[in-house]
Amino acid sequence: MKRALTVFGIIAFLGLISWAVPNQNLGDFGGNAQNGIKNFLHFSGFANASLKHLLMIVVGLIFLYLAIRHSFEPLLLVPIGMGILIGNIPFLLNSGMEIGIYEKGSVLNYLYFGVTAGIYPPLIFLGLGAMTDFSYLISNPKTMLLGAAAQLGIFVTLLAAIYLGFTLPEAAAIGIIGGADGPTAIYTASRLANGVKMWNGVQSANLIGPIAIAAYSYMALVPVIQPPIMRLLTTKKERRIRMKSPRQVSRIEKILFPIIGLLLTCFISPSALPLLGMLFFGNLLRESGVTRRLADTAKTSLIDIVTILIGLTVGASTQADVFLTSKSLMIFALGAISFMVATAGGVSFAKLMNLFLKPENQVNPLIGSAGVSAVPAAARVSQVEGLRADPTNHLLMHAMGPNVAGVIGSAVAAGIMLSFLL
Amino acid sequence: MDLLFIVNSGDFKLGIVIAAVGIGIVFLALTILTVIFNQIPKLFKIQLRSKLRKAGKINDQEECCTDISGETNAVIALALHLYMSELHDMESNVMTIEKVSRRYSPWNSKIYGLRNLNYK
Repeated sequence: MKRALTVFGIIAFLGLISWAVPNQNLGDFGGNAQNGIKNFLHFSGFANASLKHLLMIVVGLIFLYLAIRHSFEPLLLVPIGMGILIGNIPFLLNSGMEIGIYEKGSVLNYLYFGVTAGIYPPLIFLGLGAMTDFSYLISNPKTMLLGAAAQLGIFVTLLAAIYLGFTLPEAAAIGIIGGADGPTAIYTASRLANGVKMWNGVQSANLIGPIAIAAYSYMALVPVIQPPIMRLLTTKKERRIRMKSPRQVSRIEKILFPIIGLLLTCFISPSALPLLGMLFFGNLLRESGVTRRLADTAKTSLIDIVTILIGLTVGASTQADVFLTSKSLMIFALGAISFMVATAGGVSFAKLMNLFLKPENQVNPLIGSAGVSAVPAAARVSQVEGLRADPTNHLLMHAMGPNVAGVIGSAVAAGIMLSFLL
Repeated sequence: MDLLFIVNSGDFKLGIVIAAVGIGIVFLALTILTVIFNQIPKLFKIQLRSKLRKAGKINDQEECCTDISGETNAVIALALHLYMSELHDMESNVMTIEKVSRRYSPWNSKIYGLRNLNYK
């Protein structure tokens, strides 16, 4: 501490001298030193800081606080929060130092390439596939439809974003926030709202940062956003519905699921191939039983490395001058709407399904909200709300069905958007 | 007026088409998957039943009770967990005494505890 104070004291003292004493009075050495110090101060963060930078640094600190103190999605919010701090250290732009994430040739720019080129999201999906157990979904396939219904948020937000003045590709990228799936949102934004894409002669804005931050923030806030909507749309009696325990799923069914799932979904929506291909590939590694090492790598080391890189670079992409715009604020508002509509869509569809199902096969509408993906946070919310209504009614395993179906549904939705707009 | 203009714009119309087609296709894809995975277990069951019937192990009236309640599953899982955590695959049979590390510190140094120091 003392040493740091001494160093800062000397720098401040020299700075004060260079400011107080005119250049010509110091001779050659003094003049050079004075210029050097001036130069140093000119390049320092203090000289280049603006209110926007400080504001973003506060946002980064809030993310870190939520992650560390309240354990809100710490695996995502710690890298993103730290990334926001890294991306918002003020420096002299275009000075040739090549340090900013948007400066060609900088290390951060190379790492960010994985986001802009859409490399990281499929790798995350590979790990996700290797982690995911689809047996709950296979044992009760009708819950897949809840995963489809919860994608309503994507399409409602698409229309709302067009209404607010976004171009169609930008609106589509914003809509995917409602899929509650960070990698899918980043992948779609990197294709449609990357600052390069042209639509009707208008260049799209670079919205990857705001979209990713909104998607991940709302995913972390699922336990806050969803419960009021779930309670509003269901009666106490509906919240107490007990579901049949899932049947045992055979190994062959588990192996067939990724193969049939891949062939079917990608034949329908080939644009989602990078995401769904990797998801089902990762799942086949897991379920085949003969590639345990590969599955272990995909679901541990690989996904961890990519999560670090994607979190850090997405966080750093929120450089104040690019991020703090009115568009970002609108994206945050639309993201919230998107999550709410998606939750309402899932819960309402579960109620609709119950009208056609026999009493013994009815689904608890609380699991409908898990269709928004956000694995496994949304399923956990269903479990907590279920226990609140009936402390002996455990919904977690039932909610995992629509939860993982939501991942497939949002990737298919992204693929449809891409096939229309690319 | 503004709303009318936006609603009539080409982007909004295409947006509606994308939204309608999109939600339709998402439902279609997942409905087909639902139908397929509703039928697959039935196929396996038919195949299994015909095999068992050929082997004479079951008759048509025989029904197996597979619907076990969640509570029963939870009790079985807990019992298994307790049983498994009691098990040791292999005992080392080596008795050990935990080593206590005593690093030097002036606070525990014997020399500072002596009242009468040795002198020559």
